[in-house]
Amino acid sequence: MSLLSVEEVSVRFGGVMALQDVDLTADPGRVTGLIGPNGAGKTTLFNVITGLQDPTGGKVRVEGKDVSGLKAHQRARLGMARTFQRLEVFGSLTARENVLVAAEIHRRWAKDGSNPKEVTEQVLERVGITDAATERVDAMPTGLARLVELARALAAQPRLLLLDEPGSGLDTQETEAFGDLLVDLAHEGLAILLVEHDVELVMRVCEVIHVLDFGRKIAEGPPSQIKADPRVQAAYLGTDEEAAPDEEVVRQ
Amino acid sequence: MTEFLAFTITGIVTGAVYAVAASGLVVTYTTSGIFNFAHGAMGMLMAFLYWQLRVHLHWPAPLALIAVLFVLAPLFGAVIERILMRNVRGSDTGVALMVTLGLLLFLIGLALTWWKQTEPRALPEFFAGHSVRIFSVNVTWHELISIAMAGVVAVVLRLLLFRTRTGIAMRAVVDDRDLTALNGGRPSRVSAMSWALGTMLAALAGILLAPKLGMSVFNLTFLVITAYAAAIVGQLKSLPLTFAGALALGLGEAYAVGYLPTSGFLSHVKPSLPMIFLFAVLLFLPQVRLRIGRVVGGRSVRVPSWREVGVAGVALVVASWIIAASLGSADLASMGQGLAFGIIMLSLVLLAGYGGQTSLCQMTFVGIGAVVAAKISHGGSPIGVIAAAGAAGAVGAVISLPALRLTGLYLALSTLAFAVLADNLFFLQVFGGGGGLAFHRFSIVGISFNGDVAYTVLLAVVFMLMAAFVLAIRRGPFGRLLSAMKDSPAACATLGLDLTRTKVAVFALSAAMAGVGGAFFGGLRGSVSSNDFIYVQSLVVLLLVTIGGIMTVLGAFLGGLFLGPGFYVLGKIVHLDALTFLGAGLGAMTIARSPNGVVGQISGVVDRFRRRPAQPEQGITGVEVIEEVERVVAPVG
Repeated sequence: MSLLSVEEVSVRFGGVMALQDVDLTADPGRVTGLIGPNGAGKTTLFNVITGLQDPTGGKVRVEGKDVSGLKAHQRARLGMARTFQRLEVFGSLTARENVLVAAEIHRRWAKDGSNPKEVTEQVLERVGITDAATERVDAMPTGLARLVELARALAAQPRLLLLDEPGSGLDTQETEAFGDLLVDLAHEGLAILLVEHDVELVMRVCEVIHVLDFGRKIAEGPPSQIKADPRVQAAYLGTDEEAAPDEEVVRQ
Repeated sequence: MTEFLAFTITGIVTGAVYAVAASGLVVTYTTSGIFNFAHGAMGMLMAFLYWQLRVHLHWPAPLALIAVLFVLAPLFGAVIERILMRNVRGSDTGVALMVTLGLLLFLIGLALTWWKQTEPRALPEFFAGHSVRIFSVNVTWHELISIAMAGVVAVVLRLLLFRTRTGIAMRAVVDDRDLTALNGGRPSRVSAMSWALGTMLAALAGILLAPKLGMSVFNLTFLVITAYAAAIVGQLKSLPLTFAGALALGLGEAYAVGYLPTSGFLSHVKPSLPMIFLFAVLLFLPQVRLRIGRVVGGRSVRVPSWREVGVAGVALVVASWIIAASLGSADLASMGQGLAFGIIMLSLVLLAGYGGQTSLCQMTFVGIGAVVAAKISHGGSPIGVIAAAGAAGAVGAVISLPALRLTGLYLALSTLAFAVLADNLFFLQVFGGGGGLAFHRFSIVGISFNGDVAYTVLLAVVFMLMAAFVLAIRRGPFGRLLSAMKDSPAACATLGLDLTRTKVAVFALSAAMAGVGGAFFGGLRGSVSSNDFIYVQSLVVLLLVTIGGIMTVLGAFLGGLFLGPGFYVLGKIVHLDALTFLGAGLGAMTIARSPNGVVGQISGVVDRFRRRPAQPEQGITGVEVIEEVERVVAPVG
């Protein structure tokens, strides 16, 4: 049984099907990739999983248990944490306070006796932003602020981590280190679901990749298989005839 | 049967007028994105202007109507849009709230100054004395005209919005303001027109209602709550549902008048019906989705160190001792009031400044605290103060619950509705119309603060203790949590925070603080009456602390200073009855340019003096937008 399983999830915004019958799983110990062109529905799927968006149809399960009726905070308490494509940092707080708030929220409901201050320092160290910890986050460059969001999510001590384009705004070197961090985290038993445009990064860290296009899943498999898939190439380049009729059907 | 029919017709008439008022509210809200709290006050002002022309200057009704409805009202609406609302657009909803509330108070002040309420006034009905018989029920022409007007408004709005260029432009602006501008539309002209239209509808409703309701500044201003209660059925968007809501409300009121007993508790239900209706509808509204992807980053003001707080506290207490000892009793009373209101305003610093929530009923909590404290040992004991806090806190928790699931606007409106409800159902009952509750001054372990000077110093001490309490919260985990929740509720929820519970907690805490303020306020006054807690007082308190600077305890101190000694001194120079309303209203309308109030201005000057770079407003914006717009074509493999 997978830690997270998404079953036939559909979301309709007026006349547009943002997601159509999407299936997906994420398991502990590995990074699962979710790619697709902009507008494919990746962020919408994240919102459905974390409870910020009600699906029109389908189910989200955590360890087999249907969580569709649960609110965002209740799902978080099952061990989900996420970052946001368009940042949702606590802009008026420093980086350290951003992480500390998360650790304090966690202790409040988990009542696990963890020490928020210690957790905060550990996580800051882990993500490598201790040097920037006293800066206000709304004054930070985007790449750094994304790392603060990652640190904040980790401070909630999740089992499932959903990352929405965490790598954008990072330079080559930083991306490299970031990839290593993701692999390490996965090896420690975390299930990671990664949305990312940096294809190199995705191919390097993911064991399984799901590809979305216009709200539908068009491919699933290990990196090598995805690279070779003609449908995926068509979706990205948008020239193949196969992609065009899909669009007609979806945008009713 | 005849009786029932008569009530039904009355209900339809009332509902028709409510529909006119509510549709005006919806039109301005949807096209300009600003909820106009002054909608009722604008209607009230126009009804008084109509009275001035029609009754005082003896103009014929058609001429006076044309002058008000087609000249004064649209002009007034357009001017308000141009000079006030244009600055507000694009800033957060809090600023729009303060500006329209400021306008509301200012218009009340204006009307009270020009048309003294001590002088009786009446507005005649249209075609007074004429009526027709419909199934054995007399219906006046005025009533028929009211119904016809609602029909005309419905048809005209429908045609305007769907069949004319202007209407299509209006709807385009609702959908996407910037895109409309790019396509050659003129959003600013469209909003000016929607404000003109909204004001016309408010004026029409005011004029139709005034003969029945009486020329009362406060009652006519209520119209905004009634209109809102109707509009909320259509979730402030749908005009047909708004009309349905208005009709339901009108009928409900008519049957309440007809069938509920005319004395006792239930007799107060009729004037409270819009508010009861409102809470009922709120319970059935779907929970709003958490918005994500907004521009984050808040302004924040430096939190003083404990040493600074300690020094300031001692200085305040000593200074107030010295000043109090040298003042005459009238001057001293204004100083005590300043401190008492400062204590009350601290509760708003916690709620609105730190927590980002709004309360338009803070004086209601003060009143609840005062009443409870008075009932227990006349408010003079620590137990009375604790009970005041407990009672006000509990009420705060209960009334905030239905609205906190929704957005800030709904909370603001339901707290305003609650304030009016409490005026009608609670305070009038307790005080029995004009009566007061006697207070003893505070005493603890044998030490009594009975003298005026001693009590003023006590108030200074209480202010400092409460300020320290608020600051302790600000520095601790709960304060951090509030800042986080203000910046991004969605992120907090995905970290496992129960937003509703946290909001209820801060609301209850703030209400409890206001309750404590009530106990000390009562002791200062010696006796309190229902007038002290009337809904506009809550607005005055909120606006003045905003002007002072709602993000800081210093702002609460300044706000108290304005409301107590400030207006006391000003009143000696300017002789105006409604000085507080005019002053607070005017001040709040200018707040759009400086959302952190006077404290923000001062700290801005200090920063410049110290040559410290100011905090950047937002750091993360440009790149995000570009990322959104580009369809990144990343080649695979």
